[in-house]
Amino acid sequence: MQLNLFPQSDGVTIQVDERRIDAAIALAFKDRIRSLVAHGGDRVVLDLSAVEFMDSSGLGAIIAIYKSMPAGRSFSLIGLTPNVERVFRLTRMDSVIAIRPASDTGQTAERRVE
Amino acid sequence: MTGGTEQCRLYKMDPDRQPVMHRQFRADPSTVRDTLIFMREQFAGSASPEVLSRLELALAETLNNVCQHGDPVLDSGRVRPDGPPLIHLWIVRHVGGIACAVTDDGIPLPADCLAPRALRELSLISEDSLALPEGGFGWFLIQNVASSLSYFREGPRNFLAFTIPVAETQLPIVPTAAAEQAQV
Repeated sequence: MQLNLFPQSDGVTIQVDERRIDAAIALAFKDRIRSLVAHGGDRVVLDLSAVEFMDSSGLGAIIAIYKSMPAGRSFSLIGLTPNVERVFRLTRMDSVIAIRPASDTGQTAERRVE
Repeated sequence: MTGGTEQCRLYKMDPDRQPVMHRQFRADPSTVRDTLIFMREQFAGSASPEVLSRLELALAETLNNVCQHGDPVLDSGRVRPDGPPLIHLWIVRHVGGIACAVTDDGIPLPADCLAPRALRELSLISEDSLALPEGGFGWFLIQNVASSLSYFREGPRNFLAFTIPVAETQLPIVPTAAAEQAQV
């Protein structure tokens, strides 16, 4: 699984460099992101612009990540492609988890994580 | 402008192109992924990308469900001798929609899977994020993107069928670079 970390002054942007978040990787995805979030600073942004397909197991993983955020830290999503956006919209999770336009990244230095 | 030609090949509806696909495989998330990627290749151009994405979502949820609940322990307490359930999948493009049939020899589908679904009232749970459900969205999504959902059990097999509607007159025709130049 390819995740790219962009440290920010107040947190981290995690770019998901995977075309699919499906049942085949949902559990590993959840565990990896949660371990990164643990040291991520106050503001965690998940960049999903490379993700072309997400099913309900991928959605469940993102909800679990959101729920695991300690109090006082923010978690948001950027760069939702139409198929990913549909899953959030149909399940109304777009009204629970903050979703912002892709231009909000403010990406600086990149750190690649295999 | 080879890019334009490529786009045309992928998106432009060919009225004679009505692909059919049949696959037989053991229920496993990696195999489901491969099957869905193969489906996108087979059905590319037979309907709009929007329709194919709905098809992919409905199939993913259906097939994941077999993987998750294809219990290796049978009702009798005996472990399945032959591994995960065997899935047969048929997908047929016809006028007005893409019909799908999925059969498997896993455990019977609980009746409430097909009952009309509503989301839990978010206003009741959004105050407390820990109460948010992490699962249970699969059948809700299937019911949202598919129509004519039907199910029956025959002997050791589940039979599930649904259609992804296609509005034939609204298929987007992406103009090719050559066509655009011809108009100039």
